Amino acid sequence: MTATTTGGPARRGLLASAAGAAGAFALAGWSASDGSPRGAPPRPQDADPATSVRPFRGEHQGGIADRPQTYAAFAALDLRPDVDRDAVRRLFTVLTDDIERLMTGAAPVTDQEPELAAVTAGLTVTVGVGPALVARAGATVPAWLAPLPAFSIDRIEERWSGGDLLLQLCAESPTTLAHAQRRLLTAIEPLCTLRWVQRGFREPFEGEHHPMRNLMGQVDGTVQPEVAGRDAGLLWCGDEGPAWLVGGSALVLRRIRMTLDTWDRVDRLSRENAIGRRLDTGAPVTAPAGATATAIADLNAKDSLGFHVIDDGAHLRRAHAMAPHERFLRRPYSYDDAPTEGSLSDSGLLFAAFMADPVRQFVPVQQRLADKDLLNLWTTPVGSAVFAILPGARDGELLGERLFA
Amino acid sequence: MHARTVLAGACAGLLTLTLAACGGSGSSTSDATSTPAASTASASASAPALTLVDGWAKSTDSMPAGSMSMTGVFGTLTNATDKDIQVTGGMSPAGSMVETHETVKNASGTMQMQKDLDGFTVPAGGTFVLAPGANHLMVMGLTQELKVGSEVTLTLDTDSGPVEVTASVRAFPGAQESYVPTPSPSQ
Ligand code: HEM
Repeated sequence: MTATTTGGPARRGLLASAAGAAGAFALAGWSASDGSPRGAPPRPQDADPATSVRPFRGEHQGGIADRPQTYAAFAALDLRPDVDRDAVRRLFTVLTDDIERLMTGAAPVTDQEPELAAVTAGLTVTVGVGPALVARAGATVPAWLAPLPAFSIDRIEERWSGGDLLLQLCAESPTTLAHAQRRLLTAIEPLCTLRWVQRGFREPFEGEHHPMRNLMGQVDGTVQPEVAGRDAGLLWCGDEGPAWLVGGSALVLRRIRMTLDTWDRVDRLSRENAIGRRLDTGAPVTAPAGATATAIADLNAKDSLGFHVIDDGAHLRRAHAMAPHERFLRRPYSYDDAPTEGSLSDSGLLFAAFMADPVRQFVPVQQRLADKDLLNLWTTPVGSAVFAILPGARDGELLGERLFA
Repeated sequence: MHARTVLAGACAGLLTLTLAACGGSGSSTSDATSTPAASTASASASAPALTLVDGWAKSTDSMPAGSMSMTGVFGTLTNATDKDIQVTGGMSPAGSMVETHETVKNASGTMQMQKDLDGFTVPAGGTFVLAPGANHLMVMGLTQELKVGSEVTLTLDTDSGPVEVTASVRAFPGAQESYVPTPSPSQ
């Protein structure tokens, strides 16, 4: 995407829909803390991607508004039964120190493989909490911090769902990621049990000429709120919720399986119809030939027979915000795990989306998709989790410290 | 045998768990002031004479039940003075005493840790690394659990007086070398 390289606010994809009130969308140009929009030349500090470092301290945690790294692991843990308020604080003492060291390449104090930690590869570790942890810390649980309602399309499996604590690890090197994950999980093992790990990846060569494509081949992550500017309130929690969460966010993580065996039977025209976008460029099917992914979709355009050019069941139409608040930052990763017996693949999308309030922003969109979305023919949500993402640790502060205020 | 000294700064860490020599600040424990040499350990109020940088101790959560009698303390002892400092042992509220330990190969070829009777010499302006499987401090006769994420305080005996240091308690599956209480005269 080159959206933010043109200077000024990112170009906006304003859909010409009846619900145009939904307002402006920035087209994915990641900015924030690592500075570089996708496809932009690397900054000097990133000259050696092996040792590139993203900031740990700040108002917000990393791994949210910054450009998505190539590899991710999401690890959910449950607190052991005897973990009380004091133990939760000890948990954050260890996590804060070890995460800061891992992100800066210094290696945790107990690390006997510091050579692996030295390759920071843009590592971010983003910490989220579930309702049980917040309750044990004695803090106010926001109303939205609960499992999502069950949707008709869901086939949710417990083994990919829920959790008291989330670690989202992202890096440009899978070795860095594996090491950081192992060190953090062992460091907190006396306090937590591991619930699940989900691993994902994006396009390693992602840039101007190689957009993020999911495993159905679609350009993914194009239409996004302008979270570095006018839409910041859609991403970060503010004064409306508990004080400990100001500057934090919420993560909705949906594990969505793709049935690629049946998708393989579908021709390209039907595939484009299912989304409402072209496969080659990612441009809306209503855009003139030669248009790019950032071209604006025309939801009202009709063909000679009077049918909408963007199908009534197209994912673009169904997912499009019907009100300005029905938007969130998507930061998805593909997964491609070992196939189970009798199948040739276990693939899909780790649909990770950040927002200030999932019930208000995400649920109406997911409900619309559950009611009708051509993509549902080939996709099934099999995992679901919601976490409150802690605000960033300021200088001298522990992650989660404001839970104890 | 007091090898493994590295230049100060080479291991600069984020968490300088440190602490001033007790004699320097007139704070803390009463026995600090009773040691005549205490003040000499203190280069200045702003630069503690001897610190334990990145200090950590193995938590008792990681130990099999019943084996919780002692634990190792690691990190980098850092000497900011222009005089060598000798660390010979110490005290901790968490146990009966603190000993200096080294790891040696025994007659059967396995690595064992044992008390280092000479103690550790932290060179002037230098450091002395304490690590699992190498030289380390040992809190003997633990009287309380050391829970992961908490802190443990040690008051080290040095030839320039007692020095208080703290260590972050961490889960660590290693540091399980078998232990030789006293070197036998025949070895
Ligand atoms: C495997 C499942 C999914 C796939 C393959 C998928 C794929 C896509 C693709 C290719 C686009 C168009 C390009 C873009 O703007 O990124 C898109 C747009 C979008 N998707 Fe999905 N998606 C999936 C699930 C979801 C879910 C679960 C949600 C939310 C509940 C969602 C919300 C959106 C939104 C909000 C847009 C932008 C719509 C607009 O143009 O305004 N998607 N998705």
